[in-house]
Amino acid sequence: MAELLRAEGITKRFTGALALDGVDFAVNSGEVHVLLGENGAGKSTLVKVLAGVYRPDSGSVRVADGVNLAVIYQELTLVPELSVAENLFLGRPPRRFGVVDRARMLRDAVGLLARVGLRVDPATPVKELGIAQQQMVEIARALDLNAGVLVLDEPTAVLTDTETDRLLEIMAEIRDQGVGLVFITHHLDEIRRIADRVTVLRDGRSVGVLPAGSSVEQMIELMVGRAISEQYPRRSQEPGDVLLKVDSLTRDGRFTDVSFEVRAGEVVGIAGLVGAGRTEVVRAAFGVDHYDSGHVEVAGRRLPGGDVRAAMRAGLGLVPEDRKGQGLVLTSSVGENLGLVTLRSATRAGIVDRKRQRRHADEMATALRVKTSGLDQEVRELSGGNQQKVVIGKWLLADPRVLVLDEPTRGVDVGAKVEIYELINRMTAAGRAVLLVSSDLPEVIGMSDRIVVMAHGRVAGELPARGTTQDEVMALAVQEFSA
Amino acid sequence: MTTATARTGVDARKILSENGALGGLVVLVVALSILAPTFLSTQNLINVGVQAAVVAVLAFGSTFVIVSGGIDLSVGSVAALSAMVGAWSSAEAGLPGPVALLLGLATGVAAGLINGAMVSFGRLPAFIATLAMLSIARGLTLVVSQGTPLATPDVVTFLGSNLVPQVPLPLLIMLVFFGITGFVLSRTYAGRSMYAIGGNEEAARLSGIDVRRQKLVIYALSGLFAAVAGMLLAGRLASAGPQAAVGYELDAIAAVVIGGASLSGGVGRAFGTLVGALVLAVLRNGLNQLQVSPFWQQVVIGVVIALAVLLDTLRRRSR
Amino acid sequence: MNLTRRAALAALSVTTLALTAACGSGASSSGGGADISVGLALSTLNNPYFVELKQGAEEAAAELGVKLTVVDAQNDATNQVNQVQTFTTQGVKAIIINPVDSKQAGPAAKAAENASIPLIAVDRTVDDGKVASEVTSDNVQGGSLAAIELGRATSGGVVHLQGIPGASATRDRGFGFEQGLNSGAIKVVASQPADFDRAKGLDVTTNLLQSNPDLKGVFADNDEMALGAIKALGDRAGKDVHVVGFDGTPDGIKAVEDGTMAATIAQQPKVLGRQAVEQAVKAAKGETVQQVVSVEVKVVTKKNVAEFKK
Repeated sequence: MAELLRAEGITKRFTGALALDGVDFAVNSGEVHVLLGENGAGKSTLVKVLAGVYRPDSGSVRVADGVNLAVIYQELTLVPELSVAENLFLGRPPRRFGVVDRARMLRDAVGLLARVGLRVDPATPVKELGIAQQQMVEIARALDLNAGVLVLDEPTAVLTDTETDRLLEIMAEIRDQGVGLVFITHHLDEIRRIADRVTVLRDGRSVGVLPAGSSVEQMIELMVGRAISEQYPRRSQEPGDVLLKVDSLTRDGRFTDVSFEVRAGEVVGIAGLVGAGRTEVVRAAFGVDHYDSGHVEVAGRRLPGGDVRAAMRAGLGLVPEDRKGQGLVLTSSVGENLGLVTLRSATRAGIVDRKRQRRHADEMATALRVKTSGLDQEVRELSGGNQQKVVIGKWLLADPRVLVLDEPTRGVDVGAKVEIYELINRMTAAGRAVLLVSSDLPEVIGMSDRIVVMAHGRVAGELPARGTTQDEVMALAVQEFSA
Repeated sequence: MTTATARTGVDARKILSENGALGGLVVLVVALSILAPTFLSTQNLINVGVQAAVVAVLAFGSTFVIVSGGIDLSVGSVAALSAMVGAWSSAEAGLPGPVALLLGLATGVAAGLINGAMVSFGRLPAFIATLAMLSIARGLTLVVSQGTPLATPDVVTFLGSNLVPQVPLPLLIMLVFFGITGFVLSRTYAGRSMYAIGGNEEAARLSGIDVRRQKLVIYALSGLFAAVAGMLLAGRLASAGPQAAVGYELDAIAAVVIGGASLSGGVGRAFGTLVGALVLAVLRNGLNQLQVSPFWQQVVIGVVIALAVLLDTLRRRSR
Repeated sequence: MNLTRRAALAALSVTTLALTAACGSGASSSGGGADISVGLALSTLNNPYFVELKQGAEEAAAELGVKLTVVDAQNDATNQVNQVQTFTTQGVKAIIINPVDSKQAGPAAKAAENASIPLIAVDRTVDDGKVASEVTSDNVQGGSLAAIELGRATSGGVVHLQGIPGASATRDRGFGFEQGLNSGAIKVVASQPADFDRAKGLDVTTNLLQSNPDLKGVFADNDEMALGAIKALGDRAGKDVHVVGFDGTPDGIKAVEDGTMAATIAQQPKVLGRQAVEQAVKAAKGETVQQVVSVEVKVVTKKNVAEFKK
């Protein structure tokens, strides 16, 4: 196994803060080398140093002769309006007599797509592909550029389980072709499935290199710097009155006849495949989108449809799935974001009591242990986990009866995850309820009291969380309905 | 400017580091003081303030719109229309001056509400909605005036004159509206919603902010401020002209952007806008005093606008 | 979808209504047999001067019993070419053009010539093209008269407020003004643009007063700027600083009467409009037209101001 890339003693400083501190890192031909660490540990900085985007303050990066490095970032760099083939050969289309040779481009594309196991018509516009297929297109493009080292920055964060399985298979195939892969992920089970080596970063330092087959506990302990006793610390209690009742909710073409209840002190999980209609149902219940029939009650009071403010007044809150697109005002500060939901209630005669807002924001930031330089720091500068804490925090300040969390731990590191779980426990202990929508099956099973499984826009069944296996949930999730 | 600094009680270095345009203004003032011996006199500085007033008030209104992620191209036309309605109500319809003034201001609010309704309920892009209003308001100004200037009522003329010698009312009104703008932006529900809507409209909606209603408020405020600016302009001339304030919307937008606001929304402050308006006024005043050739003046103004914004962008990026 | 379409229809019908109304007020038709139709392409209606010109033309058209269609180019030369081209397809028998810019009116003249429709230029000439008749007042001569009048009223340093840089009125009046300077004891100490705009006239004069506190006079390329200058001068206007404007607008005439403006050079826009229509009708009927009609410019001072009040 030839060494393709070696970085030694990499140190990088940003305006005083030490982002990387003497990190060593190497990639061999035909291996998957996982880069593991909490958000802010320095993974992204290291990748950017390897890719030559940042110049290190000290240390060196050596690349073997003729080896190219390609990085697949989380934000994909495809042009949505162009076809798959045009994207594959962007900036370097095959030409004949100075004119783009479309026939050859399409032919070449088919071969290239076969390498990543993607069977789509290369003339399809990229915007019509799913996110997983788009990733494959990016990987195929990198392979065509003879990338000897391929860096994948959290590719599975946006994928469903099946899509993830497929990606891991492709990665294994590429590895066997002799490519060296650097894989960044927060999912420890994925690491156990594919990693040949794991380098763990903490606070800008490399704290250890683990071999293939290391246990989840070993990885967590290295990453967090302490042992985490329980990954899913759910503490259940006797449920109280019904706080949220969704009754026969239907939106034509999206979801049909969805009914479930959430009681005080309860965490109800909603599981299902991507596209099962989970997000659509909770958005409709919260009044973001309209629905055609059925109704929603909060603590016995029926909500008017399509009215977010009425839902809020009744005591409903929603932490949306898309943190940056729908949860945060990225141009504003941490304090401003924390105060957003309570802005109306802190207003008297049009004037906001900013002192009170600030005091409450400060208390919440401390309680949630948001890692920030202060309330005035721009929220865009925080790591994903801390941003999510801010979104949850702004709702906790409004003290809703029922808080809907849609994929609350996506892209959040292990340490922050556990803290979010503790918040859920604290809410239910105080007599509130949580509706937890999640694609992470161990999480739904580990943190819920009951699980509602959705398939094709309908409730496929309900399971008690305790003692339920992932297979049981999946069996319901893939259920077919006869129309 | 000095009063504002003293009032907020923040030290000069912090203000300078937070506001790139202020640095530009200081450079400009120093350069002109050296080049034009008559520039740095009390009287001339008062003149600059008065000359900045109309654009500043327009720009304060535009700050609300731009912070909330929109744009208002109609402010110049709405200013002219409001002033013309005020002048017509008194000169032609014979209404008492104060009533005429209020009618003029109401005209501005109405135009703003129509803009807001087109944007929020009609789902028109702000650029298109207010571009339509730019044309409509200018046309109505011509219809009302029949193409000729009309004399303004005394109360409007008073707005454009000196309160006591050496203390011009336009300067005071500009400072009052600076205060109002700062207060609205930082202390009121409407102001805080503007930042949220401009920064992420969907997040604002999901946090319970009534985005559509707030947009009505935002454009109505812009219309009201435009009307006030129109009254100031007409008051200074004792006459409302059909072609008054043509192109002022671009000056207003330039002032807001020089002041550090982002056209993509979520960012902007009253103080920055004030500085932006002063930069433009200082520049025009200085160019006159230096007797720069008319052909070059527009070039210089464009270059300074670009430099001011560039300076601010570089400062942000280096952070 | 349905709603959008209905809204669009509503918007369309409102627009149509507005257009109909606009046409109704724009075109004044004669009572009698209006078999002769004349088009008038104005540079702008954003200025009282051209509004008066239009009124003069409309009065003449009514008296002569011809149909007059008026369009406004909003100071856009390209727009004006399009409008003249449209006239040629509407069956007008003569076209009167008031060029946005003399140097850019060539294509419009060409369009009329191709359609064999006689073209009459009013207020401004067409530099490059065939016209049947030019009805103008002489801006260069007016500028010279202004200089002479200012030299009579005062002596010492004066400033010149210029119109929009590069516009033909700015060029001609400024050129005439400079030529007339030698006759008196005045000297130009500053020339700055104020874009024919009253508010800018006020600001620019204020600024120039800072560097030239002992100013004796102001010449402005139009009355609007002169009125702005008078505002800037305050009590000094008409006492130790004398202002001369150009155009003789109602507000300008009133300032002369009040003594704040020493003089204005009155063009007679109504007469220009009237003469242009008369020439156009002659041309349309195939009668001989006068190639150059010079409408007098008049120096309006306090002595003769009564004649110009309307």
